[in-house]
Amino acid sequence: MAAAEPLLDVRDLGIAFRTGGGMVQVTREVSFSIAPGEAVGLVGESGCGKTVTGLALMGLLPRATSTVSGQVLLDGENLVGMAPRDFRRRRGSKISMIFQEPMSALDPVFTIGEQISETLRTHHPVSRKEARERGIEALAKVGIPEPTLRYDSYPHQLSGGMRQRAMIAIAIVCEPRLLIADEPTTALDVTVQAQIVDVLGDLCSRLGMAMLFITHDLGLVAETCSRLVTMYAGEVIEQGAIDDVLRRPRHPYTSGLLRSLPALAERKSRLPAIAGRVPARGEIPPGCRFRPRCGFAEPPCEAEQPLHAIPPAGQVRCCRHDQIALAGVLS
Amino acid sequence: MTGPAPQPMIAAEEVGIHFPVGRGRVLKAVDGVSLAVMKGETFGVIGESGSGKTTLGRAMVCLEKPSAGRIRHAGTDPYALSSRELRRHRRQYQIVFQDPNAALNPRMSIIDSIREPMDVAAELPRAEREERARALMERVGLSPDFARRYPHELSGGQKQRVCIARVLTLRPSVIVCDEAVSALDVSIQADILNLLAELQQEFGLTYVFITHNLGVVAHVSDRIAVMYLGRIVELGRTEDVIERPVHPYTEALLSAEPVALPADLRPNKRIVLEGELPSPVSPPSGCRFRTRCRFVQPLCAEQEPPWRESGAGHWSACHFAGELHLMSNAELHPHRNVAERQP
Repeated sequence: MAAAEPLLDVRDLGIAFRTGGGMVQVTREVSFSIAPGEAVGLVGESGCGKTVTGLALMGLLPRATSTVSGQVLLDGENLVGMAPRDFRRRRGSKISMIFQEPMSALDPVFTIGEQISETLRTHHPVSRKEARERGIEALAKVGIPEPTLRYDSYPHQLSGGMRQRAMIAIAIVCEPRLLIADEPTTALDVTVQAQIVDVLGDLCSRLGMAMLFITHDLGLVAETCSRLVTMYAGEVIEQGAIDDVLRRPRHPYTSGLLRSLPALAERKSRLPAIAGRVPARGEIPPGCRFRPRCGFAEPPCEAEQPLHAIPPAGQVRCCRHDQIALAGVLS
Repeated sequence: MTGPAPQPMIAAEEVGIHFPVGRGRVLKAVDGVSLAVMKGETFGVIGESGSGKTTLGRAMVCLEKPSAGRIRHAGTDPYALSSRELRRHRRQYQIVFQDPNAALNPRMSIIDSIREPMDVAAELPRAEREERARALMERVGLSPDFARRYPHELSGGQKQRVCIARVLTLRPSVIVCDEAVSALDVSIQADILNLLAELQQEFGLTYVFITHNLGVVAHVSDRIAVMYLGRIVELGRTEDVIERPVHPYTEALLSAEPVALPADLRPNKRIVLEGELPSPVSPPSGCRFRTRCRFVQPLCAEQEPPWRESGAGHWSACHFAGELHLMSNAELHPHRNVAERQP
């Protein structure tokens, strides 16, 4: 995996928002890469910066109130600071995004078909007839029954699962190289979630599309992704091959997340929760940001934490990673 | 059996809850549900949206009046009580909702919100109410500094703690938790589940845990009921339902749950249900699950499956209960066995 030229290479991505009290740094030094056809999971709890990272990759953060630093290389081309006009040509064709709530992402006054062909005709000079054919094809690809009929349906006529499929169809109709999926199944039932996850996995393998799967559900990452990137308080704190991290997490926060899953604990036992809570923006401690909640904190943790390499392809932001034994999902 | 059987805290007998949806059509959100919740147990209700689990939970605490059948609380029919008696009676039966933002008044300080049920009941002197509210606030893990703050200053987990403290003020015996931890991050969720377990011990509470999250319900419950389209399709002790499901829908639910395990320990087979949940306004004839069932037979469309006991206390509604080759827990969740074998 490391051998392949990355499709997406995010380097030192920093995002800051303008607020009444000046600029607030929301994420910093976020670096990771995705190979063609690879699915990478981006996890963390609410407020850790995973959604804004996804929005920054898509160039969807408002320019007037936010600044993005660092580099986002897609096929070697830097998207940070790209002129809006140039970005528009790539958004939807090379890089696409789907969101948690399909009802608010779809326009209620246009049919599903109109919304698919809009994307297609923005990027490709195709006739209406051809756009319709390719739109119906996209609906079939995401497993919508009777795609010809559904092409002319309005969003309110579809169930939640079908709407999410329709949104995926819009996102993939131009066959993008990278799909950013931001909590695409959180609003759906588990059996529907299983269907959607199958569709996404199938698209990755059939179209060779890469995916950044943003979620808080580690089970979903285990099932869909080959690599995991964990964020905490705006920083990447660990990344590695999913099975390696599940068996042996190197960061106390990742270990804490895995251990607090009730599905893996003994029934009725006390769950090992992580003490405290994510620091608010103004209260981020110097040094290791997880230090106030960490059971392994020692004086060296008060210093700035660099990323340490974990062979073969992992990284962890913890100076004590080789001194402490952390529980994974099997211990 | 020796001696009289204890009275269940909640007994539902053939409960139906029907909503008119216009043009003479009726939506039967809950249809012919019978169950008994015993004192001190945690009773889990699992199902997907539209299964009727929330409506059933609301009926259990008299927020929804059954259109058919009846609900009994420890032998009492709450609807036979006068409205004054009912108001007093329902203090025993409390509910915690999913979204604490909607449950708390944004204009009331935390301590006022916690004290409010006691203010309404107006039985204790003011000073004692205040004292109990503060004690409970501390008990659920909120620092006294929060007393004069407002909901918007608190995180989701803290707000849910406020809701829990508030329902405890009237010393209830039963608490229905309707997706009470579903909106929380996993580490916070673990904290709240631990807190609820402690409170159950301390106050001798009976819980009804309604959720779509299988991991949560399997962890906390003594018994589980599985709902589909307004009906209970399977009911039994947690270990029986989770490890030896007899209804194909339960099997599908168990199989759909993603587990955070390395690939070699994950189930290699998965049942993905075809199609969509049928409309509850016109449910399929016979067995309601038949349109999505992988074992469907002609009989399933013709007759409603009987509610039968297949093992001790393990009930299900399937014509072929016990005869089907369902995936066993070892196939669905190999990790449970693997984890036990770890040194």
